[in-house]
Amino acid sequence: MGKSWVIFVTSILILLPFLCNSFSIETPTDHRVLVLLDDFAIKSSHSSYFNFLKSRGFDLDFKLSDDPKVALQRYGQYLYDALILFCPSVERFGGSIDVAAIINFVDSGHDLIIAADVNASDLIREISTECGVDFDEDPSAMVIDHTGYAVSETEGDHTLIASDDFIKSDVILGSKKITAPVLFQGIGHSLNPVNSLVLKVLSASPSAYSANPKSKLSTPPSLTGSAISLVSVIQARNNARILICGSLRMFSNRFFKSGVQKAGSSTKHEKSGNEQFLTEISKWVFHERGHLKVVNVKHHKVGETDEPPLYRINDELVYSVEIYEWSGKSWEPYVADVVQVQFYMMSPYVLKSLSNDKKGLYSASFRVPDVYGVFQFKVEYQKLGYTSLSLAKQIPVRPYRHNEYERFIPTAYPYYGAAFSTMAGFFVFSFVHLYNK
Amino acid sequence: MAREKSSKDNAQALFHSLRSAYAATPVNLKIIDLYVGFAVFTALIQVVYMATVGSFPFNSFLSGVLSCVGTAVLAVCLRIQVNKEFKDLPPERAFADFVLCNLVLHLVIMNFLG
Repeated sequence: MGKSWVIFVTSILILLPFLCNSFSIETPTDHRVLVLLDDFAIKSSHSSYFNFLKSRGFDLDFKLSDDPKVALQRYGQYLYDALILFCPSVERFGGSIDVAAIINFVDSGHDLIIAADVNASDLIREISTECGVDFDEDPSAMVIDHTGYAVSETEGDHTLIASDDFIKSDVILGSKKITAPVLFQGIGHSLNPVNSLVLKVLSASPSAYSANPKSKLSTPPSLTGSAISLVSVIQARNNARILICGSLRMFSNRFFKSGVQKAGSSTKHEKSGNEQFLTEISKWVFHERGHLKVVNVKHHKVGETDEPPLYRINDELVYSVEIYEWSGKSWEPYVADVVQVQFYMMSPYVLKSLSNDKKGLYSASFRVPDVYGVFQFKVEYQKLGYTSLSLAKQIPVRPYRHNEYERFIPTAYPYYGAAFSTMAGFFVFSFVHLYNK
Repeated sequence: MAREKSSKDNAQALFHSLRSAYAATPVNLKIIDLYVGFAVFTALIQVVYMATVGSFPFNSFLSGVLSCVGTAVLAVCLRIQVNKEFKDLPPERAFADFVLCNLVLHLVIMNFLG
């Protein structure tokens, strides 16, 4: 009895590492996703989107937003790697989730997708404001566009708009161009122009405005034109990615399958661009594209291989880094346009572009400036849609030792000659003076 | 008119008398004068060189100029003491002083030259 119990425990302990299959630094794509819904009808009306996520390998956990048992973390460990909020009308989350818990979830590096809709609750608005996105204050306002609406038989108030004003980024939206416009019906939001972390992925056309479609406008609307963003992404400084969309209906099967014709244009597309747009952007949000890592930061003197603890002024040195990009399954070498290294002490003394060997190794060779002190090798790389790289490595630089100067200074040769010639002159003169009769 | 002509005549007369008086000095004193002239000439060359190129190793420049000026000064001292019109000390003692001082001077020069 005791022996079989010991065997059972040891076998469990041996198998335990293989049971932990979760998010790690080595495989940055998320695995376990919590999806909070207002009601389970959304699970079936948006099944195309969820099936796409499942086909990419995500474990989706569907829960009602006021389920009292829902929790993001237990005993200090996060149970999920990403969160999808498809609950625009939730007033209070059940369980241990609240605004602070969601913000902490994002702050610890996890991703978030929020879909709001008309009459979105204050809770969703508050979470979005924390992320840097401000929805229109009027709760029943929708985005209306009288020249960019989608032509349809039924809806006549032009709240169903077809937009093709995408951000120009292959890494966020994929390399294949989205030809059909995207159908949108919901609320718009605006971004603070000073905020450098938020990006407008889908903006409204210049003729759009945000107002309540059922009531007459008494004052001019506050959100107008291209300042209205329909879909935005935020890449936080810890490289967590957040997608905020003003229309839950964008993700629905109905919008995915429907054809679209933009008002004023004669081309009728068989299928809207929603599916391609949302699947590509979800790939980006869940770190399947545009996620970089830096390994092997090395520096050494030209001709040597080991890293010295300090350099001397006017030394020639070589600095190299390796940058890889996650392709969804493996780390591929990252081929960039320009990555620069700075040799920095209060201001960059040297700013050099690293040259690429197309296998992920970036290196540059330069001469240490004629200033001594404590410098830093700094690499700051920020490209739209990619994780930001910020590396700093400190290295001291010493002046010449007293025996490292040149022994004889060429400009002083005349003085050396004069001193020796007076010595020789004195020698010759003393002989002449003594032996002169 | 007469005064100008006489001042010009006076200058010429002065110059001639100096030349004839100098021709009468002994040969060994003339050798010392030649030595002093060589030292001053070397110093002038160094100053002109510094004026063109700049004073970068200033210690080397000072050392070079000091060697020339020092030898000139010591040679002038030797000339005074060796001259037969002054009977202060024997010429051997003067020459020994001259040699010792030159040794110290060249020691200082070699150290300051860099």
